[in-house]
Amino acid sequence: MNLDLSELSLLAPIFRELFKGYHVSRRDPELYTQLSNLQDPYRALFRALGFELVCDTRGFYYFVPEQMGAQVNKTAQRLALFTFILVEHLADQGRDPLAVLDGGSLGRDELPPLLDKYRDLFLQAEVTSQDELEEKILRRLTQLGFAAEDNGVYRFLPPMHRFLDVCLAVQQDRDLAATLHSDLPLPTPPLAVEDEDPVVSLENVLAEEEDEEAALARAIAEEKELEA
Amino acid sequence: MIDPKRVLRALAEHWTLLEPLCERFDAGTLSLIELRSQLGVQLPDSTPADVTALLDQWIRLDILVPVAKSPNRFELNAQIHDFLAYLRREHRLGLCLEIEAYLRHLERLAGYIQDAFEIRDGQDLARQLRLLDMRVRDVLKKLGNDEQALVGVADRAKTSDRQIPLRQRYAEVLATWDEYVEPMIQLVAADGAFEQGVRRVEQVLLKLLGEQQRLGQLVDDDLLLRTHARILEMQTTAQLTLRRARELLLPLREEARRHNAVTRGAALALSAIRKRGLDAVPQASLPLFTRPQSTFLGSASQVEAYVYALARFEPKPAQFPRASGKRKADAPRAPRTVREMLERCEQALPLPDLMLWLLEQEPEGATDELLYWFSRLSRDARFQRERLERRDYLTREHCVSLSSFALVGHANAQA
Repeated sequence: MNLDLSELSLLAPIFRELFKGYHVSRRDPELYTQLSNLQDPYRALFRALGFELVCDTRGFYYFVPEQMGAQVNKTAQRLALFTFILVEHLADQGRDPLAVLDGGSLGRDELPPLLDKYRDLFLQAEVTSQDELEEKILRRLTQLGFAAEDNGVYRFLPPMHRFLDVCLAVQQDRDLAATLHSDLPLPTPPLAVEDEDPVVSLENVLAEEEDEEAALARAIAEEKELEA
Repeated sequence: MIDPKRVLRALAEHWTLLEPLCERFDAGTLSLIELRSQLGVQLPDSTPADVTALLDQWIRLDILVPVAKSPNRFELNAQIHDFLAYLRREHRLGLCLEIEAYLRHLERLAGYIQDAFEIRDGQDLARQLRLLDMRVRDVLKKLGNDEQALVGVADRAKTSDRQIPLRQRYAEVLATWDEYVEPMIQLVAADGAFEQGVRRVEQVLLKLLGEQQRLGQLVDDDLLLRTHARILEMQTTAQLTLRRARELLLPLREEARRHNAVTRGAALALSAIRKRGLDAVPQASLPLFTRPQSTFLGSASQVEAYVYALARFEPKPAQFPRASGKRKADAPRAPRTVREMLERCEQALPLPDLMLWLLEQEPEGATDELLYWFSRLSRDARFQRERLERRDYLTREHCVSLSSFALVGHANAQA
């Protein structure tokens, strides 16, 4: 496949956003339009670089995330927990959860009752106050392109379907229903990265620096030997 | 007997009053007091006596009828109600069972037609054929009505308040699916009662046409052909109605089902988390990561730099040397090899200052290249070295501050 780089005029901003873990949807009209018009070249280029671009037909793009084995991603857990809670809370109130999470909105004033009602669960996610709820969950949702905040109202964007898919997957997981009633340990999810981690991996760079330092130490030791 | 003209005139005269009442009557019956207050709102200038006179007139014309065993409650006469519903394009969904009953009746009529033909009773045959034709029209009318009613069901579900629970919002859709669409699917299926009934009637009519040609006409062929055509139309209409019902209701039904699945999934997950903590988010769920995966062999910053370089890439026209042209004197020199540099360094021993020597050797050398050679040569095991004081060195482009080395001889020579 021949790539015409002059066509991919928004390559740098698109890559920067996707690389951060951001989900590009119609909320970013320029990036979204270019991605949907030039889906194939972008996919080919990113694949050559080692990134798998997912084009979800429900209207959003993201990079396939990194599998980190048993390491658990706190952010993903918190966001999933928040979705579960919101679905149940809205259903309890007799409201339609899908209407809210699929393009609907949630006012900031609705957060305190939510926090009160599910305090025990939020505690597990180390969320104890409204500030923490906004900081650790809602701000992350907006940073990753799942929601947009405007004047104290959070509007949910199409990428929220990824969390709704999790709900559906749980529902279809008969094993889960079975384990709920047994004493066997529940399987741990292969979720990634602590949220405190930098989004860009520096591991390789650090490794290289270590090599340099080790080499220097060796040189100094040699020197001392020679001097001795 | 009530004069039809008077009924129609009353309906026409009082249409503005009757139309809003229809909606109330769609929902149930009304007491006399409710009726009076409703009309009082619509006729603010009227006296109570006027309202009584109006209600009396409607009751006399059988437009309003008292509800059985509740003489103070009223409803619209069922015939008038249907007529008004037709005029208002308000369709109530009928029962699938009604269609089935009509079909049984059609089959029975086909039997009578056959009997009448066998005994050569032309008059009865014509009468039965007309009855059959009218019944088919009834079915067609009913299918048309049902289709409009289905559109109404879907519209109500889609336009009702998004804030009310989905189960409630789509209750009518789910009930309609179970009570109408599902039985219709079975009825209209290839081996269902509808197809079988239609086929039986069709066979009788076609046989009749053939026999008439052989034995002579009892009824006009046109009547037979018209009835046959209408039966085929009924068959097509039933299939189209069913298809439309599926198109309208299936997505809504799926949405309701999906809603139930999402809510149940969330409740299951929360239950698991309550029992076993946050790590209990089940394996089956799609892993949600925030960091993208890369199989590229390079550090993240290298990849990023590479993409930025790609994004700013501007192709330059390549200039090839002409065959006739002479090579310029300052053609780029091939980079020096490590072996070459080591040899030169050994020959130049002892070196009082390695960095100065490098600057003499490579006056045009780039800073990073010089620093590379400095690092490489100073660390080479074959040289014996002495650290010098830190000082500044001027390369072609930079001023570098470092503690250089003096290479005083071969390491093994001293040993």
